[in-house]
Amino acid sequence: MMNNSILIGQFFEAKSIFHRLDPRSKIICISVIMLSFITLETITSYIAATLLMFLLLRLSNIPLKIFLKGLKPLIFILSFTFLYHLFLTKGTTVIWSWNFIHITLEGLIQGIRFVWRIILLVLIASFLTLTTKPLSLAAGLEKLLAPLSKLHLPVEQLSLMIVIAIRFIPTILQELDRILLAQKARGFDINALPIHKRLFAYIPMLVPLLFTTVQRAEQLTYAIDARAYGNGKGRTHYIELRFQKIDYQIISSTLLIALAFVLLKLGGI
Amino acid sequence: MVYKLKNINVTYGQKQVLHHISCSIEKGKWISIIGQTGAGKSTFVKVLKGLVSFQGDYELNGQPVKQDSKGNIGVIPEIGFVFQYPEHQLFETTVEKELSFALKHKDMTKTVILDRISTILPMVNLSEDILPLAPFQLSGGQKRRVAIASVLMTKPEVLIVDEPTAGLDPINRTNLLQQLKNWQHKTKGTILFVSHQMEDVAQYSDEVMLFHRGYLMGHFPVETLFLKKSSLLKQAGLALPESIQLLQLVEELSGENIQVTSCKEADIFAKVIPILKARGLDDE
Amino acid sequence: MLTFDHVYFYYKKEKPIIEDISFTIEKGEFVCIVGPNGCGKSTIAKLIDGLLMPKKGTIRIGNHHTKDPNDLMKIRQRVGFVFQNPEDQFITTSVLDEVIFGLENICVPREDMYNRALSALKVVNMEDYLDAMPHELSGGQKQRVAVAAIIAMQPEIIIFDEATSMLDPEGRNQILAIMHQLHSEGMTIIHITHHMEEVLQADRILLVAQGKIHFDGKPAPFFQTIPVENFQLEQPFAVRLHRLSGQAVALTADWKGAIRSQWSTN
Repeated sequence: MMNNSILIGQFFEAKSIFHRLDPRSKIICISVIMLSFITLETITSYIAATLLMFLLLRLSNIPLKIFLKGLKPLIFILSFTFLYHLFLTKGTTVIWSWNFIHITLEGLIQGIRFVWRIILLVLIASFLTLTTKPLSLAAGLEKLLAPLSKLHLPVEQLSLMIVIAIRFIPTILQELDRILLAQKARGFDINALPIHKRLFAYIPMLVPLLFTTVQRAEQLTYAIDARAYGNGKGRTHYIELRFQKIDYQIISSTLLIALAFVLLKLGGI
Repeated sequence: MVYKLKNINVTYGQKQVLHHISCSIEKGKWISIIGQTGAGKSTFVKVLKGLVSFQGDYELNGQPVKQDSKGNIGVIPEIGFVFQYPEHQLFETTVEKELSFALKHKDMTKTVILDRISTILPMVNLSEDILPLAPFQLSGGQKRRVAIASVLMTKPEVLIVDEPTAGLDPINRTNLLQQLKNWQHKTKGTILFVSHQMEDVAQYSDEVMLFHRGYLMGHFPVETLFLKKSSLLKQAGLALPESIQLLQLVEELSGENIQVTSCKEADIFAKVIPILKARGLDDE
Repeated sequence: MLTFDHVYFYYKKEKPIIEDISFTIEKGEFVCIVGPNGCGKSTIAKLIDGLLMPKKGTIRIGNHHTKDPNDLMKIRQRVGFVFQNPEDQFITTSVLDEVIFGLENICVPREDMYNRALSALKVVNMEDYLDAMPHELSGGQKQRVAVAAIIAMQPEIIIFDEATSMLDPEGRNQILAIMHQLHSEGMTIIHITHHMEEVLQADRILLVAQGKIHFDGKPAPFFQTIPVENFQLEQPFAVRLHRLSGQAVALTADWKGAIRSQWSTN
């Protein structure tokens, strides 16, 4: 059985300054930090980023294991990235070789770097969803993107889509769980298959999942229409977004941090 | 085969959902599994089929079934399991492939499979014309029966059906229950019927297992539960079938103990209606 | 207040779903729509709320026409819709948000939202679950939230489209009790169902089959004149008792009360 209480990126109730922050400041700050993480190069900057991340995790008052659980499903991608760089990076310092396969120190470092960077990015992104309720997140995004609706972009509907996506992740996982169980009952146990066959075996499971999800989507459209959503324009909003002192403080500190990363990069430190 | 559970406990995360369940399931009976939502009915049938890990002993014909370190046993192939809304799990492109799915994985030849299809389909009142159709072309009731037939294809000796009539219209409900009853008679199989519909339970069961808050409150012949121990049902938060309520009302009003040996509605009507008529309820 | 005027509906012209249906439902009525699966009951419900458009004919709520796009938002405010599957109508991520969603849509001032949402949730006894997420709730609880989300929008008509069919008996009885309470406070209720026990208590029954109305009237004459088996339906217990007792027991949903009162007068 799946444990439904732990899900990737679901809002986690706690008391911290980040939980109190306006969602818009969080979106802005986290985007800025993600940008600076993408450009990480030197060891010093990696260490600085890691320390920053630890500080943020501490301040969020969310147990570390919640963040780590979010990383678990990424193990496959992470190991793939690591091996890719390990084997395919050209380097001179060979530390292990067998036939035509060489592992170089450069490759090893490159692999660790990339994996570490992905982990940092995922952690900071889940930071946003863990400390922000989906509806505030959507409201923040809607406000930030509001200028785009002048270009006839359906900003309101986009934000509703985000809410629905977050809402239905647990439902769809439960559904998948049921389908797997039913197939197991029919004598077809996916987990008993060797790994290379398992991937293909998932495909027939996805068919009924896709089918019910499409049906769900149709029902949901009716439900949204029936509740007088219309085109989403001109609604009133329950969540009132207002910048407070703390928001300005956090945004300016974030900009300073970003500046520091730029300086580290320019200085090559 | 005789399926025997001894002191079974099941825990999901922190929560214990089944407590000290001991029971034995014998061949050829219609056993209804009843209880409120969350009472442990679904978990219990999953334990029987070998779908969830548990602590305790599971015996097949007196032989203990081996558990791994986590408390899992493999699935028991002799038990067929029809989940709730089974039509949501159809995934093959044609009805024929859907029906053959389980057997193909057992490397059976096509002739054997087709032969079996032709014996199974009539049991659920479907014709072979639908074999080449895609499941989504069928009506809701037909899809449900295809899903059930695909489980019957494995020739189970025990069939678990979890709320098989949910969402069907009244006539399709009655027909489906009758088809299950016929399958049971024909194959001398056992049915484990998970249900909230006490009318159906009273009408079709031989035995009843009553669950409440993760405990098995009892395993009785159906008449014993409904006619002699109906207070247990109330304790477990379940309603009595209306026919039993009628019986109790007339007993209360007349102050007599009415001798009834069956809890089927027709049998109760046969005893009670003459009393109502004798009271002259019609000469207002 | 609700009028169907010679309404036709089909997806493919050669396969009509609704054929020339006309009826009027007055304010405060409790109407059950019954019929076999696929007879067009749900189509009628969706036509009322303007979720589907008639191919011919008109549907009016008061003087609002479903065909007029300007009226459509008004109609959806006046007509609440509770769907069959509790899962697929829960749009947001918490109970309170779910009720607020509709209030935002109909532009309720921000200051009034919380109180309106809370009092609607009180009607369905879900006020203790404001922050609960949908996957933490049972089907019956989700369905009660769906009803609260509708009540908060203060509609004049609520359509329950097989809204009890996926619930356990406890959940079903709770929804039924809420329906009857709302009705007693003057709400117009349209209840689509397969459960014949639920039909006996209605003011009026519409039997729909093959896209046409086959019966429109009170429950007692419905069960006395219509061979319900021909429409994939069955007689509820009270009707079976009435028939088999040679009408010794009066035909009413409250058969117990009938037996009791007649027993004491004899």
